[in-house]
Amino acid sequence: MANGFDVAREGDLAVITVRLPGKVNKINAEFGIGLAAAFAETSGATGVLLLSGHKDFCVGADLDMIYGVTDPAVILDLVRDVDALFRRMETSGIPVACVLAGSALGGGFELALACHYRVVVEDPRVSLGLPEVNLGVIPGAGGTQRLPRLIGIQPALDLLLQAKLVRGNKAVAAGLAHAAAPTVEAAVALAKGWLAETRPKSSGARQPWDRPDFTWPGVAPTSADARNTFMAASAMVYKKTAGVFPAAEALLAVVQEGSRLTFDGAVDVEARAFARLATSGQAKDMMRIFWYHRTAAEKHEGLPAAPRETGIRKVAILGAGMMGAGLAGICAQAGYEVVLRDIAQPALDAGMAHVVKGIGERLKHKSADERAVVVARVRASLAGAELAGADLADTDLVIEAVFENVELKHRIIREVEAQLGPSAIFASNTSALPITLLAEASVRRKNFVGLHFFSPVEQMPLLEIIRGEHTDEATVARCLGFCRSIQKLPIVVNDGYGFFTTRVFSAYILEGAQCVAEGYDPVLVDWAARVAGMVVPPLQVFDEVTLRLGDHALSQAEAFRPGVAGLAGAKLVKQLVGAGRVGRAHGAGFYDYKEGRREGIWSGLAAFCAPRVGGDPVAQVRCLSERLLLAQVAETLRAVVEGVVTRPQDADVGAVFGIGFAPNTGGPLSYVDRRGPEVVYERLKALAQQHGERFLPAVGWSPARLCYDIDPRQS
Amino acid sequence: MPDAWIFDAVRTPRGRGKASGALYTTRPIDLLTQALVGLKGRTGLKAADDVVIGCVTQTGEQGGCLARFAALQAGLGMESPGVMVNRFCASGLEAVNHAAVMVASGHYDCVVAGGVESMSRVEMGGDGGAIWDARTQSLVGSVPQGVSADLLATLNGVTRAEVDGFAIESHRRAVAAQTAGQFDRSLIPVRDESGLVVLGRDETPRADTTIEALSKLKPSFEMMGRQFGLDTLVRRAYPAVDRIEHVHHAGNSSGIVDGAAAVLIASREAGAALGLTPRARIRSMAVVGDEPFVMLTGPLPATRLALKKAGMTAADIDHFEVNEAFAVVPIVFQRAFDIDPAKVNPLGGAIALGHPLGATGAMLVSTALDNLERTGGTTALLTLCVGGGMGIATILERV
Repeated sequence: MANGFDVAREGDLAVITVRLPGKVNKINAEFGIGLAAAFAETSGATGVLLLSGHKDFCVGADLDMIYGVTDPAVILDLVRDVDALFRRMETSGIPVACVLAGSALGGGFELALACHYRVVVEDPRVSLGLPEVNLGVIPGAGGTQRLPRLIGIQPALDLLLQAKLVRGNKAVAAGLAHAAAPTVEAAVALAKGWLAETRPKSSGARQPWDRPDFTWPGVAPTSADARNTFMAASAMVYKKTAGVFPAAEALLAVVQEGSRLTFDGAVDVEARAFARLATSGQAKDMMRIFWYHRTAAEKHEGLPAAPRETGIRKVAILGAGMMGAGLAGICAQAGYEVVLRDIAQPALDAGMAHVVKGIGERLKHKSADERAVVVARVRASLAGAELAGADLADTDLVIEAVFENVELKHRIIREVEAQLGPSAIFASNTSALPITLLAEASVRRKNFVGLHFFSPVEQMPLLEIIRGEHTDEATVARCLGFCRSIQKLPIVVNDGYGFFTTRVFSAYILEGAQCVAEGYDPVLVDWAARVAGMVVPPLQVFDEVTLRLGDHALSQAEAFRPGVAGLAGAKLVKQLVGAGRVGRAHGAGFYDYKEGRREGIWSGLAAFCAPRVGGDPVAQVRCLSERLLLAQVAETLRAVVEGVVTRPQDADVGAVFGIGFAPNTGGPLSYVDRRGPEVVYERLKALAQQHGERFLPAVGWSPARLCYDIDPRQS
Repeated sequence: MPDAWIFDAVRTPRGRGKASGALYTTRPIDLLTQALVGLKGRTGLKAADDVVIGCVTQTGEQGGCLARFAALQAGLGMESPGVMVNRFCASGLEAVNHAAVMVASGHYDCVVAGGVESMSRVEMGGDGGAIWDARTQSLVGSVPQGVSADLLATLNGVTRAEVDGFAIESHRRAVAAQTAGQFDRSLIPVRDESGLVVLGRDETPRADTTIEALSKLKPSFEMMGRQFGLDTLVRRAYPAVDRIEHVHHAGNSSGIVDGAAAVLIASREAGAALGLTPRARIRSMAVVGDEPFVMLTGPLPATRLALKKAGMTAADIDHFEVNEAFAVVPIVFQRAFDIDPAKVNPLGGAIALGHPLGATGAMLVSTALDNLERTGGTTALLTLCVGGGMGIATILERV
């Protein structure tokens, strides 16, 4: 008996229960051997039931098996073994059913797809799907071929390209499962019932695509409709990715090519594409950031251990803007008692409306009563009114999210702190001001910390925790506990202007403005960012955060980083604000807006810039792409050398999850490693000579001292 | 190198390429056969060293080396072989150039070139091809031709009013030429099995087209381009184009039609053996590849190259045929070479007359030759834009 596979006989029926050592079933070499051996033991049975002995059915391939492999031939052998095993399962003539009582993802769902009959437990916590594209690869165990043959080309492309997961209660409607049941027991009974009815070698014991009368659901692969579907999908992929993600393009290609071939031929096409992608640098970089680093951050690996009891029960949020209100909703959802406080009643009303709306959306699957309970945890509080004191007295955590002004913040810190108990934490959600500077107004500096959230806070996964000079470890640890409770991904950084993420983000958008000021076509600048993989182009994002705030931040930054405000890009922003081009909210920024919709670049922009730079636009895009990335890389390296970031993975996690740094690169330091530190070093020096000292490699960083060379499996 | 001479050229009329079009009930092979029979009847040709036929959508009724079976049907004898060529929209002119090169090489003496396309019966794109594959899209990239046409207009600032105006003029010229009988010399009416005429003249030119009517038409590729994201694909080559102005529609683009053409190309000696005197000499030819996203600029470098090889300039050409795949193509062409618009497609073009893909290039030979002979001009340049960013040009010299 292979370790982790239990085979039991119930009359003619064989039941295989997979329970690999550890908490989850994942597909690795041992899994394949074990499953094959288990199937061998079922000989003589007239039906096989596949169950998981863990909570989830199977969470997919063990990335450890793939991450370190750079030889495509090795990967090809690996997936062909799995393909052959799955193929034997579905063509042996013995009906195979599985029960999906928990999630089946990636390779795990591919295993389920290779079964003749799937029963799912109708639980929204059960997720089914093939999200491989998020890791820079495609499904490699027949998923790209079975899924379209099962539900049709268009629905399959929708799921595959967007890495969409389908919940257990929707799986039958989506065509991913044959039957659903409310409980595991009922699901098992359904599966056994089907197996009892389905004779070996009968039509039910064959996959639809192996039946002689198989026709494709939806459009036929060779039809003009299918051709148009693929053409439109190609265009949509390009529109969304600017050609940065080969995996998405490969998905389309293998589904299309495979749809014209025999099943075995199709699976081979998939296997070859998988081998190519899985050994690509991009897949490694994406696996590192989106799997290894993300998982490590979720587990708080290497971070101060959060105490079992954080002592945080009641949270006060100062400032009921988008951020404050968003935070209030999240905290309420996590079970905290929340005080949402503002100096203006209209702002408070809008904030409360935001809370109600957000909770309504996020908890739409809950009952109205349950939602009401969550909403009731948030109390609005008008600052300045007498009841304010009572509101704050027993608060355990205060998060201020007011305007970025040192004096204002200092005043609030003094006022509010006076009302707090001795163990309460005061956190500033400032996006740039040094925590140590803000803490000057505090009399309990050990308990003073930076909690930098990102907007929209409901969606942005990151929480940047800033340790001020006097912040003690207990406060950081309690904040980490709070972070876990609201399900954010933490990085802990040291203090400094803009700490980590805002420094890099500012370098990015300022470089965008700088390029425009120098006379580069703004259309090319924003496009170049997308071609580099940046999630949002710099000029668009400048308009979003508003040029007014940007200008304010630049003036403020001048005190900490002399010279910043003198850059042509900074001057351009100031001039634009002066000309009324304040940002998207005002319908005018770098772009024009019509009824809230972004139109083209403002035609008057060129008048504020140097004469238009001529030359081949494709070559310009190449240069600008690199420049926009390297501006951020240079800033990241400085933050590392200055000790703001103490672990390289924090830099990558912060940049990718906080500010949308090109996910295809795995993060700014991952980018350095992929390109080669020596190359990056030389490029930075060259750019510094051309464009200024902001590109200079950090003093103290020599390319010989690799910033980043890790084996995530050891971390 | 011996010269390649054109002894004669004929074409069928062009029928609307729909089930309601006059030639819908005529098989593609029969269209081609009748063009070959017409050529044979006018030249006394008995057999050819080869029959080179252009056709774009070589599948279904147009599959399987139509040239050979049309030659047999046409009575060119078992000794006349046949071959099909496909260079997308240039296929017909490619066949002519192929034939000319065969003769000029001295290896062949007497070759029939031609083209055929029944767009009403064999759907454009029906032959599939890797061009539509997602894999090709990610490796190379391409957009539907209409998006290319609108891109070309955007890049050159060609407005909707200009393309619509050009379309009106195409119809005006075609109707005038038709009325004056200027196509008649080379037209071979298409007949049924009893010999009854199915179609005797081009079916699509309209005297009643107005700028008001055209201006009401919705651009054909706007939705596809903007909503389905096809416009974005061109940014691989034109990153600065964040918005394409869509100006083309069915009324200012080439018509979808059916038709066939045949051209006799031979050495002077082979022609003399048939008792024929040549009508024209092929002075030069060129085929080029240009940027494939904008796709339709090929006529510019192809023309430059053909002129250079002939030692000529654009001013030396009396008659230009620039295929009106989309109105923007001849507009940009006229601008680039600074040509009097009166010399470009003087008898109208594919917007009015239609563009039977693989046949068009061969059809242009008779149109240009007849007109040179009528006007006393000497030189004609035929050029077409071609899928995948190719371009073709051929210079004829009347003798």
